[in-house]
This record gives sequence, C-alpha cells and structure tokens, in this order.
Amino acid sequence: MEHLQAVILGVPLTLLITFSSLLIGAVGGVPLVLGLRSRQIVLQVICRTLVDLLRGIPAVVWLFVIYFGVSIGAFQFEATTAAIVGLGLVSAAYMAEIYRGGISAVHSGQWEAGSALGVGRWATFSRIIGPQAFRVSVPSMTSYGISLIKDSSLASTIGVTEIVFLTTQDARSNAGGLTVYIIAALVYLALSIPLALLARRVDSVLRKKVSR
Amino acid sequence: MAVSTLPKQMVSLRGVSKSYGDKVVFRSVDLDVAAGEVTAMIGPSGAGKSTLLRCINMLEHPDAGEITIGGKTIAAGKSTSLKEIEALRRKAGMVFQHFNLFPHMSVLQNVSFAQQRVLKRSKAEADKRSRALLDRVGLADFADSYPARCSGGQQQRIAIARALAMDPEVMLFDEPTSALDPEVGLEVLAVMKELAKEGMTMIVVTHEMAFARDVSDRLVVMADGAIIEQGDPHKIMSDPEHPRTKLFLRAVVGR
Amino acid sequence: MNFLSDWSTWFPTLLDGLSLSLQITAISLIAGLPIGLLLALMASSRLQVVRVTSVALVEIGRGAPTLVVLQLFYFGLPSAGITLSSFVAACVALALTTAAYTSEILRAGLQAVPSGETEACQTLGVSPLDTLRFVILPQGLRIALPALMGFAIIIFQATSLCFTIAVPELLSQAYSIGSSTFNYLSVLALAGLMYAVITIPASWLVGGMEKKMSRHLAHVH
Repeated sequence: MEHLQAVILGVPLTLLITFSSLLIGAVGGVPLVLGLRSRQIVLQVICRTLVDLLRGIPAVVWLFVIYFGVSIGAFQFEATTAAIVGLGLVSAAYMAEIYRGGISAVHSGQWEAGSALGVGRWATFSRIIGPQAFRVSVPSMTSYGISLIKDSSLASTIGVTEIVFLTTQDARSNAGGLTVYIIAALVYLALSIPLALLARRVDSVLRKKVSR
Repeated sequence: MAVSTLPKQMVSLRGVSKSYGDKVVFRSVDLDVAAGEVTAMIGPSGAGKSTLLRCINMLEHPDAGEITIGGKTIAAGKSTSLKEIEALRRKAGMVFQHFNLFPHMSVLQNVSFAQQRVLKRSKAEADKRSRALLDRVGLADFADSYPARCSGGQQQRIAIARALAMDPEVMLFDEPTSALDPEVGLEVLAVMKELAKEGMTMIVVTHEMAFARDVSDRLVVMADGAIIEQGDPHKIMSDPEHPRTKLFLRAVVGR
Repeated sequence: MNFLSDWSTWFPTLLDGLSLSLQITAISLIAGLPIGLLLALMASSRLQVVRVTSVALVEIGRGAPTLVVLQLFYFGLPSAGITLSSFVAACVALALTTAAYTSEILRAGLQAVPSGETEACQTLGVSPLDTLRFVILPQGLRIALPALMGFAIIIFQATSLCFTIAVPELLSQAYSIGSSTFNYLSVLALAGLMYAVITIPASWLVGGMEKKMSRHLAHVH
C-alpha cells in the first residue's frame, strides 16, 4: 500500500507533461503541416527535414539535447520544462503527419468543388478541407495522446519526479522490488482507460456532427 | 413434387432451411439434381439462391433438413464432425463470384495445391493434371504467371480448373460471371458450356438468362425464400406460371 | 570545424554503442515475433479462456511504458530471486514488448485476408491447419509487413531507453562522453544523427512498401 502511495504522487506531473506536450503538439503541428504542403520548395524541404528528424531521433535523445545540451548564457531549461518542450516538439512532428494523412483522406473532389465555386485556395482549405481533415484526424490524435501518457515517463530520465522516477526511487530505497513496478504499470493502465473512453465518446459525437 | 429416390440423383436437398436471427433466408427447400444434369437457379437478389448453393457444400450450415451429394448425407441439427463435412465437400467443386484464387501462388500452384495437400498426389502428378486442366480452359500458357497478372475472365477459368482438379462429382457455380465485364464473361460461359456438354453435373446460380435458357436442362426460380417454380427452361422463360416469375423475367429480359 | 575533430574522436565509441543497439533490436524482433504470432492466433481461438488470456497479456504489454517494463526486468526481478544481466534484461523486456505490439499488427494482417480465401480452401477440402499455414499466414504476413517494419523502427528507437539499466548502447555512450567532456550538445547531436541515418531511410522504405501494398491489394481483390 505504501508503494501505491509513493507511485501515485507522480501522477500530477505525469498528467501535466502529457497534456502540455499534447497541446504544444496539436498547435505546433498546424504550421508544420502547412509547410509540408506548401508550394514553396524551400519551406517544404525545411519542414520535411524537421519532421523527419523529430520523428527519426528517439524522443529521449531530444530530452537530453534540450536538458543537457542547451545553455544560452546562464540560462538552462528546468527539467520539467525541458521534458514538456522536448515531447511537445516531437508531438508536433507526429501531429503534422496525422494532419497530413487527414488532409489527403479528404476526397480531391472537395478541392475541385471549392475551385469550381470560385472559392480561393486558402478559403477552401480553412473552411472546407480543414474541418473534414480534422474530423478524420481525431482518432489518430487521441491514440497518440494515449501513447503520450506512456512517453511522458521519459521525463524520469532527466530527473522529473513523475511516476516512473518515484517508482524507481521506491524500488531502490524501500525494496519495492517487483511489486512497485507492477503497481506503476497498473497506474498507467488506469490513466489511459478513461482517456480511451473519452476518445471514443468524442469520436462518436464528431461522427454524428460531420457524418462522412 | 414426388420424392425421387433413384440412385442416379447426384444432389438432393430435403426440407433445408436457413435463417440469420429473425431473418428467414429460405424455408424447407427440396431440390433434386440428377447426374449429368445442368440446373440453373435464377431469381431476384435476396431470394436466397447463393445461400442455398452455399448450404449444399456446408459453407453455410443449414438450420434444418438433409443434404445428400453422391450418396453422402449430412443432416442439419445433429452434430457433424469436420471429417464428415469434408467428405461431403470433397464431392462438390465450387466456383465463386470473386474467384478467390490464392494471390501468393502461381497459377499452376493454385491448381496443384489442394491436389497435393488433400489428395496426396505427388507434385509431378498434380502439376501434370493441372497443366492438362489449364489447357482445357485455354490457359496453358499462364501456368507460371500469378493471378494478379490475369484478367478477371482468366482468373475465373483458373478457378474452374482448380475446382475440377479435385475430381468433383458436381460443380457449384455462385454467380460466376457477375464480377466480370459482359464480354469477358463470355469466355467463362464458353468453358462452362463445354463442361456441361461433357456431362458434368452442375448447379449454377446466375443472372445470365441466355445461359440459363440455352445451356441448362432445368431452370429453378427462387423468390422470397422458396423455390417457386422449376422445370424446362424454355417453357418457363416463354410461359411462366407463377406471377412472381413473370415479374422477375419481365424485369431482366424486357430491358 | 572544431566539432568535426571531436566527432571523429567519438565516432568509434558511438559506433560500438550503435552496434549494441542494433543487436538488441534484432534479438528482440527474432524472439518477440513468434510470441506475437502465437498471441495473435490465440486471440481468434474458439476457447474464451485462451482469447481472454491473449487480450490481457497484449493490453498489459502495450499499456505499460517501455521504461517500466525494462526496469521491472532489471531492478524488479532480483526481488523474486531472478537476476538478469542488463543486456539479457533489455532483450527480454523488449522482446515481450515486441510480442505485445506485433500481435495486434499480425492479428490485423491475418484478418485482412479475405474470407473467400478460407472458403476456397474449405470447398477444396483443405484442412484448417493447412489453410492457415499455406494460405492465410503467407498472405497475412505480407499484408502486415510494412507495419511490422514500422514497428522495428520503433523498437530500435526504444533501445535508447536501455541506458537506464546500464546497457552501454548508443545513447549511454553519448551520455558518458558528454559527462566527461561537458560537450553534451555536440555528442548528442552526433548520436541523434546516427539514429536518424537508420530510422529515416527505413521509414521511407516502409512508406514505399505501404504504397505498393495498397496498389497490390486493390488490384487483386
């Protein structure tokens, strides 16, 4: 029981990191996907490279780079901030790919309908394609969000006292052994299940609103 | 209709019923097909033709009734072992609407595979038979291609060769030309006509009215979960008795 | 170009680490895939006990963070009287993670084989085991291949977590160079590029395979 108490103290930080980096990702993914679809080759190449590097290099390496590597004058990132920024950047790259998939899932006839009606490219995108693409992206976004709960555990490697950090500490100091790790795994399951249920709910509501 | 027990009956169904939940597909159907006879089954979609055909070789398990193929009987409702079902299936070859070839095997392997695994023929034996059958359906040159490289009509002829390779006593065709362009369907129908001429017992669910009229020995009309009329194809086509048949024929022939 | 001379000094050490990362990846995949296939087949069993067991194992394996699984096998098991070397613990933990994730991929692949294929086998009298072995598995595996490759990239990235259990793989080599030279940014950049050199081309390959696969499936079925 005292093991559960030790582990559960990490839940607030785990949730803070998860939701903050998800938010950064969801917002940051928008300019990235616009860049990926841009007609300007330079912009396109820059965004492509950025997305590929963010996804291709393990997230924990990004956390290390930001936490240990970045020092501007006397400024250094505090551990929790570094974790949020790092996971936020990686999330933005994944979100950009999810958005891109959503946009290409919208039937090309919608673009044609837009231009046939004399609606400009940008207006077609923001008013016609965007909302439909968002709707298609929601299931992937939520399942990414659920996996982000687990990925937030990477913050423990740079000393953020979230669930896994406290678990390891407990295992070492209080001889928690196997039990404390199993408790930690169960806590993660307990955190993901409500989010999964919520995701299903949101999806069915959106499905009714924008039935495709 | 008198119940015929002549030994030359190749297929007979007695009181076969099938429903999915509350929805009755067909109820208490009797059907007899003599050896060497070609029976065409027509009727509006949703009449239960395909399901009935699939019950004959137990791809669908009927809820009630008895099915006999070549003297081997299976009664619905009783627990039947997979062995018995396999013995029944062995007697019937089946050709599907969507061919269901094995895309990862060459054409030759498609035809030889079951011969080797089921009939325990050696590879050489099986391949020899396969090549002969492929020649018969006009595809000797395609033995080493893959199904994806073949047209729909060619794929369906391969499927026919694959079924024939198991030496079935009866061939079941489930809308064999429905997924094909009309012109391409003709090559498949030609193979089927040839097969009929050679005396193969055949049950064909089809929308091809010309085939039903000119090739089949007997026409069976199904509608609303029952056989409503059966007999000489020319007679039924020109002078249907049942009003439902009239309606159906007017819709398909009169266009 | 000062950093270039640093990089060339560090490169051999990092390369040793990378080779260890790749070994762990290979062992995890080779050991995990058969278990994943077994779990996938169990998930479609007729016996409810077997199905439930499979689903439970898969959900636990996918629900727990990889870090927790790794540390459980290295720091947790000794309390149950089993002590594994860090390398073995890493391989076991990642193999089981592989099994849990790939079982879902394989299950989806097997289910994507059209039911007509099974029906064709039934009408030809082919036994269920032969149907699975010669018809469903070859096609299901081919359908699952791009997703499996994608997962291989993920598990390769996950080997970077093994530094937490003292496996001297790529990231821990980089970290230890960083902590002795205090030149974290430079050495981590090099390590990151070494990961990227493998993962980015691999993901292009996966993308190409997916495209080819969807064309192929559209053509056949």
